[in-house]
Amino acid sequence: MTQFIDSPINGAGIGLRSRHYREILDTKPAIPWFEVLSENYFGAGGLPIYHLERIRELYPVTLHGVGMSLGSADPLNFDYLARLRKLAEQIEPAFISDHLAWISVDGRHVHDLLPLPYTEEALAHFADRVVQVQDYLGCRLLIENPSSYMGYKNVDMTEWEFLQELVKRADCDLLFDVNNVYVSGRNHGFDPVEYLHALPEGRVREIHLAGYEEQDNYLFDTHGYRVHPPVWDLYRETIRHLGPVPTLIEWDNDIPEFEVLADEAGKAQKVLTDMAAAA
Amino acid sequence: MTSLLDLQRMVRDAVFETGANGPALNAVIEHIAADDGFTAADHLLIYRRAIIGTLVRTLGAIHPVCKRLVGDEFFDAMGRVYARQTPSESPDLGDYGESFSTFIAGFEPAAELPYLADVARLEWCWHRAFHAPDEKGLDISALGNVAETDTDRIVFRLPVSAHLLTSDYPVQHIWQVNQDDWSGDSAVDLKEGGARLIVWRQGHDMRIDEPDVAELRLLNAIAAGQTLGEIGAADSLEHLDTVLPRCVQNGWIAGFELRNPY
Repeated sequence: MTQFIDSPINGAGIGLRSRHYREILDTKPAIPWFEVLSENYFGAGGLPIYHLERIRELYPVTLHGVGMSLGSADPLNFDYLARLRKLAEQIEPAFISDHLAWISVDGRHVHDLLPLPYTEEALAHFADRVVQVQDYLGCRLLIENPSSYMGYKNVDMTEWEFLQELVKRADCDLLFDVNNVYVSGRNHGFDPVEYLHALPEGRVREIHLAGYEEQDNYLFDTHGYRVHPPVWDLYRETIRHLGPVPTLIEWDNDIPEFEVLADEAGKAQKVLTDMAAAA
Repeated sequence: MTSLLDLQRMVRDAVFETGANGPALNAVIEHIAADDGFTAADHLLIYRRAIIGTLVRTLGAIHPVCKRLVGDEFFDAMGRVYARQTPSESPDLGDYGESFSTFIAGFEPAAELPYLADVARLEWCWHRAFHAPDEKGLDISALGNVAETDTDRIVFRLPVSAHLLTSDYPVQHIWQVNQDDWSGDSAVDLKEGGARLIVWRQGHDMRIDEPDVAELRLLNAIAAGQTLGEIGAADSLEHLDTVLPRCVQNGWIAGFELRNPY
């Protein structure tokens, strides 16, 4: 199955980080789009939002969050959602995304993407919340598969089965993180290609790529390195299977010079371009 | 059957517990799968390290001068103690650490640096001012249009970014010589006296200004929401005629409204 996915963004974008604001505004690099971490612009004023608005005048932007806590058993945080909606009105993003995860319980936030038990109970809860958020924001959400280092004993389905059902019930889209599925596959011993082939057709609107860190006995997703060779292999397989889905290079720790990110984005762009030419 | 809520509470409690054999960890590992070479506890501990690490890194990013004053190792150890006992109540990491300076003031191992807590307070004020909403500043012509009979009802407002801060130590000087771009003498004499500061943002420029005693008293009265009439009636503010214009000139007053008489 190869198909072109019609999208308000195209090609290989880069995660916008504050140390690159100046260079991007000064040199206007030929990058098709940028993604920002929504919560970094919740501050209502000052330099971060000023720079983002200048960059938005030049490029399409997507909003990517880690704070929605869609999987939490807590009530939805409408204060958070109000701040996100205000930012979305200001920035007019191509997409809004968050994760298949929970980050808080009883109002206490861990600021890390904790995995859900893939049970019927969790699925019903998660799907219901995605529907509520989509109604509130007035757009479909993209839900991203997390990297995980832990699974639960009592589960009813795999992560990819959970996502298949979620898409049916909530009519949401997906953000497929190729690095995350590679990391989780290595950590939990499943085949990432099986996961890839189980993704519901036409629902993956964006792809993420990043670099993990090799620990003693597992892979840890630090977003602090170039994309590793096996992840590039899986990415090529992903694009063969899904078509030229817009792809983002993410880097969050030890953020390098902009040209390193641009170089990584160039590699992803080449995969996308080659695949489009071959189609 | 454990509910989603109970399971999430168990995971959270195990994350913020210390040691590898506590009751919360032992409770949650019943629900976590073990696999090749990894016990259930190993899996949970990966998250504990990552989560505490994120909170400590956040504290370090907001308090770079404190970190420099005590060194990375000490700062991280202090941060871990704080992070384990201080829940983050916001999905925005930028909101984390408001009580860190109070914690430092009571943190026994840091007692040798009595000024450290106030430096942390200054850095927190800077952080909040940096991310505060934008505003235009005082509309002088609107102020000029207030009828003379109404002036007592004026309630001034400080910039939304403004934080007033006093310390027995020269914290602004300490802060200054520990900035990356500082090239002068880095010695600070702790006996040089305390600090009276207003930390705020003017447009996109971050400011740490030093009001004098009378100016600070006026700014505190304004921050407390007093009317101009109330301020003028107070004996301690006999120099209002000169102090108020100086505060306005410095940009420390960002707006006003008229309070209705009750």
